[in-house]
Amino acid sequence: MKRKMIFSDFFRNNGLVMGGMLMGLVGFWLIFLIILPQLSMLDYSFRHNLPPAELGGPKDVYTLSNYQHLLYGSDTTHQSYNTVDLKVFLRTIFAAMMVTVFNIILCYPLAYFLGQSKGSGLVRLLVVLLIIPYWINEILRAFALRIIFGENGLLNEVLLFLHLAEAPIDFIRQDIALYAGLGYAYILLMLFPIYNVIESLDRNQIEAARDMGASWIRIHRRIVIPHAKPGIASGATMVFMLSAGALAAPQILGGPSSLWFTQLVYQWFNDSLNWQQGAAYAIVLLVATITIVLTVMKLFRVNMGDIGK
Amino acid sequence: MNSAILMRLALGAYLLIFFSYLLGPLVVMSLTAFNSAAFPSVSPWACFSYEWFNVLFNDKHIREGIYYSIIIGIGTVILSVSMGLAASIVLTQIWPRLRATYYTLITAPILIPGVVLGISTLVFWDRASRFLGAEDGSLLHGLFHNGIFLTILGQSSFIASYAMLVFVARLQRFDPGLTEAALDLGASHTQAFRKILLPFMRPAIASAAVLAFLASFENYNTTTFTIIDYKTLTTVLAQKVRLGINPSISALAFIIIVLTIFAALAFETVQRNKKRQQEVKQGRIIAAKGSLLPGFLRGNAAAMAFCLLAFAVIVLVGTAQSYSPEACKIRVQEARQMEIQQSIEALQKARAEKEGAQPVAPVPETLAPAAPTSGAFGNVFAPNNLNSGD
Amino acid sequence: MTSGVAVDLDDIWIRFGDFVAVREANVAIRGGDFFSFLGPSGCGKTTILRAVSGFLEPSQGQVRIGGRNMAGIGPNKRPTALIFQNLALFPLMKIWENISFSMEVTGASVAERRKRADELLDMIALSGQGDKLPSELSGGQKQRVAIARALCANPDVLLLDEPLSALDLKLRQHMRTELREIQKRVGITFIYITHDQGEALTMSDNVAVMKAGVIEQIDNGHDIYDHPATPFVASFVGENNVFRGKVIQINGNEAVIRSNRSGDLLSRITPAAVGKLRVGDDAMMFIRPEVLQPGAAEEDGRNTISANVIHEEFEGNSFSVLLEGEGGKTIKMAVPNAGQDKISNRGEMLSLHYAPANAVVMPAAELASE
Repeated sequence: MKRKMIFSDFFRNNGLVMGGMLMGLVGFWLIFLIILPQLSMLDYSFRHNLPPAELGGPKDVYTLSNYQHLLYGSDTTHQSYNTVDLKVFLRTIFAAMMVTVFNIILCYPLAYFLGQSKGSGLVRLLVVLLIIPYWINEILRAFALRIIFGENGLLNEVLLFLHLAEAPIDFIRQDIALYAGLGYAYILLMLFPIYNVIESLDRNQIEAARDMGASWIRIHRRIVIPHAKPGIASGATMVFMLSAGALAAPQILGGPSSLWFTQLVYQWFNDSLNWQQGAAYAIVLLVATITIVLTVMKLFRVNMGDIGK
Repeated sequence: MNSAILMRLALGAYLLIFFSYLLGPLVVMSLTAFNSAAFPSVSPWACFSYEWFNVLFNDKHIREGIYYSIIIGIGTVILSVSMGLAASIVLTQIWPRLRATYYTLITAPILIPGVVLGISTLVFWDRASRFLGAEDGSLLHGLFHNGIFLTILGQSSFIASYAMLVFVARLQRFDPGLTEAALDLGASHTQAFRKILLPFMRPAIASAAVLAFLASFENYNTTTFTIIDYKTLTTVLAQKVRLGINPSISALAFIIIVLTIFAALAFETVQRNKKRQQEVKQGRIIAAKGSLLPGFLRGNAAAMAFCLLAFAVIVLVGTAQSYSPEACKIRVQEARQMEIQQSIEALQKARAEKEGAQPVAPVPETLAPAAPTSGAFGNVFAPNNLNSGD
Repeated sequence: MTSGVAVDLDDIWIRFGDFVAVREANVAIRGGDFFSFLGPSGCGKTTILRAVSGFLEPSQGQVRIGGRNMAGIGPNKRPTALIFQNLALFPLMKIWENISFSMEVTGASVAERRKRADELLDMIALSGQGDKLPSELSGGQKQRVAIARALCANPDVLLLDEPLSALDLKLRQHMRTELREIQKRVGITFIYITHDQGEALTMSDNVAVMKAGVIEQIDNGHDIYDHPATPFVASFVGENNVFRGKVIQINGNEAVIRSNRSGDLLSRITPAAVGKLRVGDDAMMFIRPEVLQPGAAEEDGRNTISANVIHEEFEGNSFSVLLEGEGGKTIKMAVPNAGQDKISNRGEMLSLHYAPANAVVMPAAELASE
């Protein structure tokens, strides 16, 4: 009864045509582009990979085998763990966290500098300079780093020239290129949210604190960082989720022997054509990353609503 | 006093490091576009050359990729901007108790990894086509397994969230009283939307559309799953970069960088001009007459940079039509041959000293890239070439 | 012009969830009247206006305009035009486009719209300003544009939601006269919402005073002021001295109350309470500051109060005297300026009297908390 009231109010406020269009668009988005696809992926992940003829047949039943595969591999006896895939998974999560932390440390000072020196010509120039790499394709950015980190790349040439290294260092195989690339790829998504919140901080607060004799460290710890927390949180969330879910950078910059978890998903889909297995891995990635984000947010007492502001 | 100087130095060093990390790779990549060496590099600089632009413009896959990227971009803009706008309007009216849930739902796609969105789209529409009993080869089956259709849907699912955030920011400053006033004056709901809300939202719609198009254009993670047998620019690039890199990609990157700088400067110019006009209007600045520079350039650093850049590009394209690095290339090749010869000889000597006489290793034949017939850019600027696109 | 269209509210209730915003409103507004709803903010007067204009549907009861039931008819289909508190001029449209918006939506040609807009601009004395944007006009000009825009729709009823509240005092007083004149000229029904009793009393043919969703009294301005129906009306409209006490005697339409601090006081019973007030009831008596006069009464002692002068202010047309009666009771008195130097000295003990016919007594109830 109450629900009906809400809908009738909605159509009263918007008219039948507009209300219908609004409802239709939002409904299509929510139902057909968000909810149902996620549910059907979830459903897929619990099914066997069967040839089309056996679909709906007696073998088409729900199973946990796709998830078991991540834990135990194709070993049906469950004796030993699937160390290869599990390692990739843990490495992905851990490296994504490190990339996030690295980005926070690198971006915070610049965000503070930009946010507090309002309107000067230099700041405007810097902001324009920041925006330019923002719109360069993710793949091209990874490519640029590959040029630099390659065996005959610029960095090796410089190191050899300066006699800092005796032989070319294989940055790609050692994953240095990958970490640098991931840190590079999403750095602006860390910078801008922090910059936005710091810009809204009243300069007088800092002056007042300094006037009362607080040290710089204390000013940041007690005033700037608490104020910037929502920005840091949304930046960190974005960077973490995007790094953990990155595909292009690992494909281009990753070493041949070490994989990123998304690459496993990609392989299940495009190489092994086992969508069910791929869906299960994707679900694991989704659940793990969201759980981590929510846990960290709870730990630092940030609300979901602050994100995306 | 001393510590203040130290502070400034530290800040300067930090800014330098940050911006070299951010921009350095792009500069290096741009430079490699002009080096004739087959592997993108700057340090053994061979010849200044435009040939990689030529290779780029003659690359059928890239041209095709750009074509589909634009088609998908347009579709995504239309779908995601309308869904985002509708979602933001609903957000302002939704029952307060549902608001938080609703907001979480419509912002969630931003946080869902693109890979997951791509997979779920693929899986769902495959499922939908089977559920509707569409047979192989039927129209519905074709549509639900069409790379363009799926990519537009997959990309829109999260780009609409970005668009929605843009609209919410603007809607917060909208006075709902205006819509009520229009209704009160006899407008239908559709008229009130078209004549009052839509004009108010126009700037936000423009920026959301640009944002959506760029996001769609450079998306990889979702697209790589949903595109199936089509290709977009990013999937072509990814494939090329993974299989082996060559400087024609640097050339593409250089073009994109130049275009981006153009757009950024143009935007900045317009912004400053607007601000200036307002100031002139308010009488804070007197519009000086009889200056040497045309009006829009005065006191507008961005506009001047814009003109300089435009000039530089014209010069670049102009020289590219006539400049030919052939002579240099031959020189470099000779030098290279010599070098190889020397190292081989040295090697042979060393071996001969060690093990006595051994058969001579064959000299690797380094093939020069096919020489461009006339001018660089493969005459893309000639009218006929534009038609032979695909 | 038109003779005006009547608006009737029949037993209107408006609820938001558990909250009752308007309770049992029965109002009959005659065609061509200037009718005001007066009350403090949050009393439900704007809610009533929105129910008349069609932005919300009453939970119960009927709105009738010109005798026609308006249930289910949207705001764009009702013969009403609303002037919003913040005016709601369309910021991106020129003045003439704003004014002729109601014609634009019906598909009138640009020439027709422009012509009508120019006529209305002449009427509001803004000729030649049609091509400006709303942001280029002053507050008073915007005000007049909003009125012209509403009138352009040829409404049967014009609804005004505190349209003068954003203006400064001088302009507000000027606009009062102007609004009243426009109303006389176009002859349509005006329904006016305000919390300013001065506006309500000067402009309106009839006023409804509201408190917490309930209409306390509907009368012309004179009767609202002189014969308030409830203590709330008495204390909200104009200034009043309140005396609380028990009724000890009733003679026809006069009553004596025994106040706990000021002794026995005689007064007229307000018309709405005649026959309802009984001996022994808790009652409130109201004496307006201008009704009190210095000096003891000649015949009856039951209309005399004594008090100490605390403070005296000269206000040009009158002297305003603040006194303290027995037990700390604050009393205000206003004496017209007839050339005296002053009325009283600080600390002086004065006897005050009043004509019992000019004071009113009624059953005790809640006062306006101003």
